[in-house]
Amino acid sequence: MATREAGKKMIMLKSPDGMEFEVEEAVAMESQTIRKMIEDDCADTAILIPNINSKILSRVIEYCNKHVPTTGATGAAASDTVAPAALAEDLKIWDAEFIKVNRATRFNLIQAASYLNIKGLLDLTSQTTIDTISDNSLEEIRSFLSTKNDYLPEEEQTIRRENQWAFQ
Amino acid sequence: MPYFPDEVVEHILGFVSSYRDRDAASLVCHAWYRIEGLTRRSVFISNCYAVRPERVHARFPCLRSLTVKGKPRFADFNLVPAGWGASAEPWVDACARACPGLEELRLKRMVVTDGCLNHLAHSFPNLRSLVLVSCEGFSTDGLATIATNCRFLKELDLQGSQVEFRGRHWLSCFPKPSTSLESLNFACLDGAVSANALESLVARSPNLKSLRLNRAVPPAVLAKILTSAPKLVDLGTGLVAQSNNAGALPSLYSAIQQCTSLNSLSGFWDSPRWITPIIHYICKNLTCLNLSYAPMFRTVDLIGTIHQCQNLRHLWVLDHIGDAGLKVVASSCLELQELRIFPANANVLASTGVTEEGLVAVSSGCRKLNSVLYSCSRMTNSALITVAKNCSRITSFRLHICLHGSVDAVTGQPLDEGFGAIVRSCKGLRRLSMSGLLTDSVFLYIGMYAERLETLSVAFAGDSDDGMIYVLNGCKNLRKLEIRNCPFGNSALLAGTHRYEAMRSLWMSSCDITLGGCRSLAAAMPGLNVEVISQADGGANDAKVEKLYVYRTLAGPRDDAPGFVSAL
Repeated sequence: MATREAGKKMIMLKSPDGMEFEVEEAVAMESQTIRKMIEDDCADTAILIPNINSKILSRVIEYCNKHVPTTGATGAAASDTVAPAALAEDLKIWDAEFIKVNRATRFNLIQAASYLNIKGLLDLTSQTTIDTISDNSLEEIRSFLSTKNDYLPEEEQTIRRENQWAFQ
Repeated sequence: MPYFPDEVVEHILGFVSSYRDRDAASLVCHAWYRIEGLTRRSVFISNCYAVRPERVHARFPCLRSLTVKGKPRFADFNLVPAGWGASAEPWVDACARACPGLEELRLKRMVVTDGCLNHLAHSFPNLRSLVLVSCEGFSTDGLATIATNCRFLKELDLQGSQVEFRGRHWLSCFPKPSTSLESLNFACLDGAVSANALESLVARSPNLKSLRLNRAVPPAVLAKILTSAPKLVDLGTGLVAQSNNAGALPSLYSAIQQCTSLNSLSGFWDSPRWITPIIHYICKNLTCLNLSYAPMFRTVDLIGTIHQCQNLRHLWVLDHIGDAGLKVVASSCLELQELRIFPANANVLASTGVTEEGLVAVSSGCRKLNSVLYSCSRMTNSALITVAKNCSRITSFRLHICLHGSVDAVTGQPLDEGFGAIVRSCKGLRRLSMSGLLTDSVFLYIGMYAERLETLSVAFAGDSDDGMIYVLNGCKNLRKLEIRNCPFGNSALLAGTHRYEAMRSLWMSSCDITLGGCRSLAAAMPGLNVEVISQADGGANDAKVEKLYVYRTLAGPRDDAPGFVSAL
């Protein structure tokens, strides 16, 4: 259900565990999935976000709140006084802090970002995954990804050899 | 437990561009292997005989950019006979069958025929980049086919290739009324260029940023081109002036001043020395300057020029620059990262050459130096020790002393300690070429300290098998080992039996190895192709092997080996 508060249009988001979050429409529309629902007029009542529990949803909203463009009516104060470069730098630092979460939370954030189609959040969470791939052993990567090694030893050896012999 | 749906894995892999990281990703599990294979756009093949092209396309069906390297690097020194192999044809054929979306093809040291270019041109009308580095086998007719058919070509680069000249028309074949060209390099082309065709081409290529001309382009044409290409960032000039023709200079000076984005300059060819002022007009912006084709420039001209180029990152120059010139480099070019000094041809004006003094000066002034190629007339250990101390960031160090077996010019000692200091101090050293009198000691240092070394080139060095064995026992990251004219024999060769699969290739020529030694290696390591050049297959085991090339391969023995190559 869309409401109005201090001139801003509000949207109600509901998690499957029954929590409700009232957010500004502009913030909710950081998610392309929600934007589409709103634009298609499917958002008269609260929007149920399946598969994303309240803990994760609140983190996602926190992210969107920070990243909603500050130009225009909502955040005019910030953009008037702070240079864009400084703002971007500030956001980067904030992102780095934001992503300091345990592995399960990070996974859930990736899934949420993917489902809600929030590019910035998906990029941020993916990037941290990449850093893991670059910096760690295969076992650590698998453990980080909670992925089971479904290769037979000789299969893995064959791929490893092909990678090294042909593609490096 | 959370899991990643395919599209998320795909998104994550979208951030991974380095081959190594993608390789690691493919090893995670079957799903990651499959998605990585489907989404890899850019594939690098370090040896065209290491894998079959069909296998590459089966694993990476959506590739857009393919890089393939062919002959061993010593081909640059004419050590690989003509007809050796490395034909581009199987790769182009396979791409044509399996990969209609190919946009970039980069080949190095391969044989590319006109037929091959014709096939390429007709199979890939959307080709964006064709880069042929040190390739051979094609002519201007092949280039004409490419220019005619690949209407969206952005990059055509023939760097260091041998192109047979069959007429000037190829340059007129690019699309009309406009082209997508951003980069065109035909500096290597011997033969005339049609001034009209070139001017018209540049005029209808609004996005041109890099243009490297050959020596056939006269000064007046260059001036006209520059006025219609104000966005140029990288220019390889034609012949900037002839000694009997200074008339075109004023228009050239005024044209080059309009190119405010220019930061890279090469070419000049045999231009007379009095044209160096042209560089002064743009020297403030210059980050790359290649004067290695300009044998007429003398020390005094070079000093005046380089003094002004305070932003240079890359400088390639002939040894005319002299130690005095290098001292000016040291005091003027504080940002310099790469220095290459080439020997001037013997038949040009008297060359002063450079010595250890110039190198020491540069190392003390240019602290950001990371890549050095230095051809000099003499060297000392103490100079190398100073260089090692001053520039510990060096990742590539190639020293060439003109006279084989030169000793320390002051003490008369071998240069072991000097190179030892380089490998000790430069922890990130990845590439090393040595010359001068060197004993086994230098290899002991290399094996002990050069942990990141990937490419080692050695000529006329060492005094026993121990030298090569030291290297093979250390240097855990070694990928390419190139040796010529060294006294290393079978026991040295076989000491590395179990190392060679972890390396890309081994080249040995004019060493002390025999056919028997090579056969033992081949028998022990079926994953290696052990190829001997200029040897009858039935030769006796104790027959000396002149040239040996060893590389790992998933494709088995190659089927295109000419008669003079014996696969053991």
